[in-house]
Amino acid sequence: MSSSAALGSLGRGLVLPIGLLLTWEVASHSGLVNRQFLPPLEHVGATAWQELASGELLEALAASLRRDLLGFVFGSGAGVLIGLLLGLSTIADRVVMTWFNGLKQIALLAWIPLISLWFGFDEMAKVVFIGLAAAIPVILNLVEGIHATSRKLVEVGEVFRFNRVQFILYVYLPAAMPSLLTGLHLALIYAWLATIGAEYFMAAGPGIGGIIIAGRERFDMDLVMLGILVVGSVGFLVDRGASWLERRLIPWRAASALA
Amino acid sequence: MSDAALRTTLEPRTTAVAGFRRISGRVSAAVLRQLTKLGWLLILPAIILPIWIVGTNHGWLPEQILPRPQDVLHTLRDMLASGELAQHAGYSLRRVAFGFGIGAAAGLITGSAMGLSRRVDDYVRPLFTAIAQVPAPAWIPLAMLLLGIGEGLKIVVIAKAAFVPVVMNTSAGIGNVPRAFIEVGETFRFTSLQMLRHVVLPGAIPPIFTGLRYGLTHAWIALVSVELLASSEGLGYLLVWGRQMFWLDTVLVAMIVIGVIGFVSDKILAVIETGLQRWRIDDVQ
Amino acid sequence: MNVAAQLRTTAVPDHGQGRLEVRNVSKSFVVNGAPVEALRDVSLDVAGGEFVVLLGPSGCGKSTLLRLIAGLEPEFRGSISQDGNAIAGTSLDRGIVFQEPRLFPWATVSQNIALGLKNAPLSDRAKREAVAAHITLVGLDGFAQAYPHQLSGGMAQRAAIARGLVNRPRLLLLDEPFGALDALTRARLQVELQRIWAHERITMVLVTHDVDEAVLLGDRVIVLAPRPGRVSRIFAISAPRPRSRTDDDLVRIRNDVLRALGDGEEDGSGGTPISGPA
Repeated sequence: MSSSAALGSLGRGLVLPIGLLLTWEVASHSGLVNRQFLPPLEHVGATAWQELASGELLEALAASLRRDLLGFVFGSGAGVLIGLLLGLSTIADRVVMTWFNGLKQIALLAWIPLISLWFGFDEMAKVVFIGLAAAIPVILNLVEGIHATSRKLVEVGEVFRFNRVQFILYVYLPAAMPSLLTGLHLALIYAWLATIGAEYFMAAGPGIGGIIIAGRERFDMDLVMLGILVVGSVGFLVDRGASWLERRLIPWRAASALA
Repeated sequence: MSDAALRTTLEPRTTAVAGFRRISGRVSAAVLRQLTKLGWLLILPAIILPIWIVGTNHGWLPEQILPRPQDVLHTLRDMLASGELAQHAGYSLRRVAFGFGIGAAAGLITGSAMGLSRRVDDYVRPLFTAIAQVPAPAWIPLAMLLLGIGEGLKIVVIAKAAFVPVVMNTSAGIGNVPRAFIEVGETFRFTSLQMLRHVVLPGAIPPIFTGLRYGLTHAWIALVSVELLASSEGLGYLLVWGRQMFWLDTVLVAMIVIGVIGFVSDKILAVIETGLQRWRIDDVQ
Repeated sequence: MNVAAQLRTTAVPDHGQGRLEVRNVSKSFVVNGAPVEALRDVSLDVAGGEFVVLLGPSGCGKSTLLRLIAGLEPEFRGSISQDGNAIAGTSLDRGIVFQEPRLFPWATVSQNIALGLKNAPLSDRAKREAVAAHITLVGLDGFAQAYPHQLSGGMAQRAAIARGLVNRPRLLLLDEPFGALDALTRARLQVELQRIWAHERITMVLVTHDVDEAVLLGDRVIVLAPRPGRVSRIFAISAPRPRSRTDDDLVRIRNDVLRALGDGEEDGSGGTPISGPA
């Protein structure tokens, strides 16, 4: 029963996308819609092939991913350190947390002008911005995870007369691990968004965002659509990969969800 | 018989005097707690502000890196007085209100349909997932080609940003209402409407509100990005303009206003949320 | 008594005696693609006003049988009828109390009980009175406005019992209602349930795996054997009410029942199936 039902739902899921693509194709060929706005699918395909063959697309993608990864590593690394400090030290928490909560309300991309004033338009500025985007969710989730550590678990540590380091290693960190991984997962998603944003607004050097912006300026719809397709695919793969890793790294959460 | 025993253990009887003393003690303790919190809060500015003031006055920090705090204040006051700030903020607020309103309403309808009907979910989910993969700001260049750079573009981009999290949380919230509660409704022979009104919706309100709050946050991010790329007014434009003129004080003022509005609007939704679920308040404490 | 008078005035028209007939009922589930037989050829008659206990180890299908009677599982073989009418889906004539209280966390005690009356043919005023009367009946006066998370486990289950009774069903089904409670609260609620049953004079079918509970409450105890679930023995208990746990007759019957359960486990067949009233 389950396999045929799954097949049925898969079939239903294809109805809308295929219908949409068909309408697109028909509208484009019939001249109902200006081809400049809605180029036929085969044109987009041809552009994709051309860009792939020339190596330009892959080069841009590699540059974007490198930036994304660099920013993510620095940002989440800093986020873990700051999050640990804020989570474990009551003083740091009291002094900083409210200000941090205010700061995080500034919509992410509003940082770009300031960062570009401070760091210019090249690689450094982009990585700093991506790092900022990655650090915020890591800090928030780690602090929350540490604060939410069950009093019961802390009592176990007290019974064993753990010292400060032992408490961190054996109680707080493992207890906060699911939250931390959620934070890192979000950091990956936001870092990719920030990568595209940085490339849109600080359009220097190769990158997927740069390709899209260039495509818009040349009114090259094929290129813009191709770029957005690549952005979506990377986002999808990053998200899926992170979910998979999360399940791998904290098997006990899956087990408790089943019980 | 047993009830009396239950009640006394639940509400220990207190004399009026003891009760009063407890309450007055609680009030002064609360005031003290607030004051202490404020004291802690002021430590960070007390450290940073003097460094900032001394640093900028002595020219250790060039003005292109950080303007003097009094300059920022000055700009803020000027822009407030001239009405310039209110004008830009008004543009941005109107855009967010329209975009978020449309996106959230569409998201609630779509998400409810997906949560209530397996069939609708089957049809819509894959297309929705595909659209959701590309963050709203990334759509802007494409949307600019299709819609130009008018108000329509801004509303569409913001609505898309709000739409995605609302759909995800609404459909999940409605789909995850425990089977056990549905069965209780069945034993009372609830009609579909009664089931929706008394079981499904109350159970789904917490996740739906989470979705609305995410939607608002994303709407703000989308607003700023669309105003950065394609606008001649609004807070995002203020940022671009300040950036181009190297007026850091203007940039900082715009950022502060964006932060304050984001903070206030999130708080408003949070208050509505707690109001709608009084039954959870005690859990939170 | 005041409460009784109140209940009488709010009572909905009589729906019958609350007789229950279960005829040759079998039920299978599909688990991981393979059919699992939960109940095989179960037949059972319950007289109006009788208190019947379904007793058995886990996996004997007693909860499944109760859910079939409630009308929560539409597919099974055989027939189940109440007062001569085959059951089709759930009905306000049959109340049910689940093992977990299943109170809606977003509604107060009185709102939870009132929700049960949504489809009752009563005026708003009559509904309000019925809710108040049933809160009194289960001893929750003073807690009408409390939310479920403010109640202890025992109080929540009292509220659930009030909700099961508020439609004045002729038949109340109880699915291990005290299973999750501590021993003291459980004993107290068992006594309360006896009182409510005597007061309401309706049919009750209780599912449990607690032998003491079964012999204390039941006019008859139906012992079910597992895999597949089927009736293995029936004990009639004629001890006068209100009963006491320490009553010699009850203790003797309790030992008999325990022995019957033990037999069932050892030889796996559970002896010759007996059906129908003993």
